[in-house]
Formats: sequence, C-alpha cells, structure tokens
Amino acid sequence: MQAQNLQLDGAIDAIRLRFGSHALTRAAELPSPQPWPSRTPIDSLTGIGGLPRGRLSLLTGSGTCGKLSLALALLAHATHEFAHATVIDGGGFDPWNLLPFSPELSALTVVRAPAPEIAGEAAATLARAGAGFILLMSEVPEHWLGPIESGANRSGTVLVGVVDAPGRALAHASSFSLALSRTEWVWERGQLIGIQVMARCLKNRVAPPLGETALEIRYPLGARPPSDHLVHVIEAHVDVQEVAQCVSAVV
Amino acid sequence: MRVCCGLTGHLELARRPDLYGTPVIIGRWDEHVVAASEETLQFGVETGMALRQAEHLCPQATFVLPDEEATARIRELVSAALYDLAPVVEVRDEGIAWLDISGVATAGQSIRAARHRLLKAIGREPRLGLAPGPFSARLAAARARPGRLLRVADAREFLAPLPSRELPLDAEQLERLDLLGLRTLGAVATIGPRELESQLGRDGRRAALLARGLEPDQLVPWQPPLFTSAHRQFADPVEDREALLFVARALCGDLAEELGLRGAGAKQVRVRLLIESSDEEKRESVVRHPLSSVVELFGLIGSWIKEWQPRAPVTELWIELPVLEAAGRRQLRLWAGGDGTSEEVIAAMERIQERFGEAVVHRPEPAFLTSPIPSERFA
Repeated sequence: MQAQNLQLDGAIDAIRLRFGSHALTRAAELPSPQPWPSRTPIDSLTGIGGLPRGRLSLLTGSGTCGKLSLALALLAHATHEFAHATVIDGGGFDPWNLLPFSPELSALTVVRAPAPEIAGEAAATLARAGAGFILLMSEVPEHWLGPIESGANRSGTVLVGVVDAPGRALAHASSFSLALSRTEWVWERGQLIGIQVMARCLKNRVAPPLGETALEIRYPLGARPPSDHLVHVIEAHVDVQEVAQCVSAVV
Repeated sequence: MRVCCGLTGHLELARRPDLYGTPVIIGRWDEHVVAASEETLQFGVETGMALRQAEHLCPQATFVLPDEEATARIRELVSAALYDLAPVVEVRDEGIAWLDISGVATAGQSIRAARHRLLKAIGREPRLGLAPGPFSARLAAARARPGRLLRVADAREFLAPLPSRELPLDAEQLERLDLLGLRTLGAVATIGPRELESQLGRDGRRAALLARGLEPDQLVPWQPPLFTSAHRQFADPVEDREALLFVARALCGDLAEELGLRGAGAKQVRVRLLIESSDEEKRESVVRHPLSSVVELFGLIGSWIKEWQPRAPVTELWIELPVLEAAGRRQLRLWAGGDGTSEEVIAAMERIQERFGEAVVHRPEPAFLTSPIPSERFA
C-alpha cells in the first residue's frame, strides 16, 4: 500500500511537472459549488451537505429501485423552497404521484416534451432564466447538455436527472451521480410498505466521493386523503465509507 | 453606503498593454500630460504637468498620443463587464471603477468577480479598496497592493493621517491649506465645513466633509446603451439564401455576445437588406419577450430570411436592435436566493409555449383528486 501511494504521488508529480500544477487537482482542493440542502440522506453522499447548485445530479438505477420516489421527494421539497420547480417530462410524470410528498403545487410547472429536442431546449431556456429546481425525466440530446450546464451554472439552478442508465454524454455532463439498487422489499403484517435501497455514489465532481448508504423508502398506505400522506425517505443505517484520497483531473 | 473601488491606472494606458512595465507618458505636444504610467513616478512625472517638462524629466519614456474615442470604448467595456455586480457602477477614464455594493447579498463574490473582470479587461491586477464612500474607497485602493483588497471600517479614522493634498482641490487651494497648517485630512476634519468654505469657497465645504469621511459625492450610475446593431457588407452581391442565413447567424452570435455582456435583451428587432439597386428592404417586429441568445435571435431572424425574396442581389445585411430592455431588470446576480429570476422564468415558459404550443407547459392544479381517471384529477 505504501509503495502504491508512493508510486501514485510520483505519477501525480510527473503530470504536474509536465502539464502544470493545475492539470491535476485533488477534488478536495477544488472550489465546491453552493449546496442546496435537500434534507434527504443523499446530502451526506455529495460531500458538500446538499445537492450542488448549477450542476447536474443524476439518480440512476433499474426499475423499482426507488430513484423516482427519491426524485419526487426532492421535487416536493423544492416546491417549498423555490418559486419555480419544474419537471421536464418525457411522458411518464403524473402529479398525483407527487401528492404523498406534500408539495406546494403553485410552484410546480410541468413541461411536457414530446421530443428530446424540446426537452433539451426547454431545460436550457429554464436553466438560463434561473428556475430554482429542474427535474429532468426525459432524454436530452447531447448538443443541449452544454447549454443546460452553462445556463444552470450561471443561475445556480439545481438540476436533477432521473434515468435508468445514463448515456455516455449524460454521464459525462453530470457532476454527481448516484446509483440506486433495491436490496429488499419491506413488508409489515403481510403488506408491502416500502423498499430498502442501497445508494452508491458513482461520480462526484464536487467533493471527494463518499461510498454508499442504505435508504429505506416507505410508500403511502391506507385510504387517507392525499394531504395526510407522507412518504418517508430515511437513512436505514448509515454506512458511509469514505474514500481516503481522491484525485480528479481538471481538463 | 458601502463602496468598492478598483484602481487600474489610466484607461489611456490600457490601450497599449504591450507597454506595461515600461515608462509611458500620454499627452499631446505643447499640452499637458494626460496620463503617466507608474514607472514614470520615480522620475517626478505627474499628470497635468507640461509634456515638455515630462520629457525633460523622463526622456526614456514612450510618448503616446491620447485617443479619447478608444478610451471611451474601453470605459464602456469595463462598465459593461462590471454592470451586473452591483446596482450602481461608475467607471472613470482615470482608471477608477466604483461599485456601490450596499445591500448586495454576495458582496464578497461581487468583489472577487470585479477583480477578475478588471484584470481581464485591462490586463493588470487592480488595487481594491472597500470603504463607506467613493473618496475613502479610492484612497484605500491606492494604498492596497495589486490584486489585494484594503477594507476600511471607519472612514474618518482611516483618512486622518493621510496628506491633505489627496483632496480634490486645485493647486492654489492646496497651497492655502498648507499655509493654514492643515497638512493632513485629520487636521482638515477638525475645521468646520462653514469655516473652510469661508476660506476656499464651495470646494472648501466639500473638502471638509470629505476629510470627515462624510462622503458628500454620489456615484453616477452607468447606464448601458439602449441600441445596438451589427452588419456585414458583401464584396460581391449575394443571391444565395443559405449564404444570407450563414451571415445572419454569425451576426446574431455577435449581437448575443454583446447583449450577454451588457445583461440586456432586445425588445425590438429590425433587419435591413441593402440591395444592388441602392434601395433597401426591411422588416421589423416588436417581440413579446426580450431576446438575448443566438437561438432566440436567429430563431426570429432566420425565419424572416428563409421566406424573404429580395428584388435584387443583396449588398449589405443589417441587424438592428433599436430597443433594448430596460437594464435594471437584468442585474439578476444581485438578488438573494434567485428571487429576482421569477419574472425571467415566467417569460422563458411563455417563450417555450410560443415555440411549441400552449400545452407543452402545464401548471397542475388539483381538480377531482379522488377521481379514478388520471386526466380528471388535475386541471
């Protein structure tokens, strides 16, 4: 291990000597973007205490892994925090699903984008205009990722994307990527009440990446009026493994 | 009031960044020195002295003729670059940039950004001062190291030991102050404004107030120009529509860059085609929401050109933006928590609706939430 560290330090020094001191920077030394505290356990995974403003965060994972529930929890919280929380929807979003999270519907806008091109343009326009929170639930063409990123960066918009598996361009454009995988269903008295999920940080450009954590997502139950419903996203047992040192190349 | 001052040296000197680090004197023969670089100070050269005398004192200096027009362009460039950092920005040819950052939520960010933008525009690290008013901020900046900020909490205390020749008075008035034994600003501050007014006239009153740190002068806010245009003259008259579109896109790019720099948007767009028969054809429109990006500008202008059928080959293409949006609305960075962007977001949504139809943007409002039919639950 010692020898490996020495070799790694030697390689870093060589790169810095050849390409300049800024060619390779420790992630901890990079200026971190402003965080938006989402009040969900993923705040602890970003390393800055919240989702990064002006950057794209991705929630990824296969079906029924809890990524949409987590995204809806974030969206509902954003409707209370921002004047405009926007969903760029490719055709699968129903506001009904958001009600258990007690959103402030007056702050919610849904952009129905029948084509990825429209989704891209709408996201870029709204990010540039300074929408507080944008939830991307649609494919976005590669050429719109740059304008979306720069627009969000300028205005400090919190951008969250929900995809099963991101394409290379989307993965590259993201600054924080979280992979969710269901570990087990949660049953109580023979009734399904939620899921246990493992959330793993795949990519983090805003802070040294932290490992993973277990989440428990509770579904709304019973015939209560929607306003009484509350979906809980709680940290089951915190098991955050910190990576000792991380080096990130700045291009 | 909380004013940040950035000192960069006279803007005439910024015209010749290649001469940075060498003695430079700006002025016309038989006239006075307009500006002199820091490197000439050790030889006793001062702004306002006769150029012949300056040449005698520092013969090795490079002498450059002043160009007021070019300096005004640099001043506009610097003003535009600083415009969105503070509600009030004033830039003077002497190389003084004042930003009134009172009430700015992220004052530290504004000051850092001001430093970077001045460095980018002028090519030299500015000296920065932060004080309760423009006078004390300028004196603080003059005493800061390049690229560093000197903060002044109590203006009177800071000004007290400084020499009284820092006051904006003419040579005769300064000599009178000297004869009166008022050699520091602290000494001037002990004299009442009315007493000094009786000695030096109106300037005396102002000087007494300045020495007390009371800052009687207000900044004159820079206002971005409300008209801009771009044009291209063709060597050979153009008939090809694709060529016109290509040029129009490039011009839209230039205009969008300029609008971005000013933080403005176009409320009216005019396109003029000068054709071979020395006639012109034009089309113009008032837009509902200000256009500022290439996509928005070219979206409109491109659609016009696509269906335009000029009577003869085009010799010149003009894109004019005669009415720019009132600038005050676009200082978005100054708003805390993004509150100021609400209007912009609503305008952006309406633009999306204009482009892709009303149904694209939807604000869900609960209707029959208990309905088993999803489409009935929300209006």
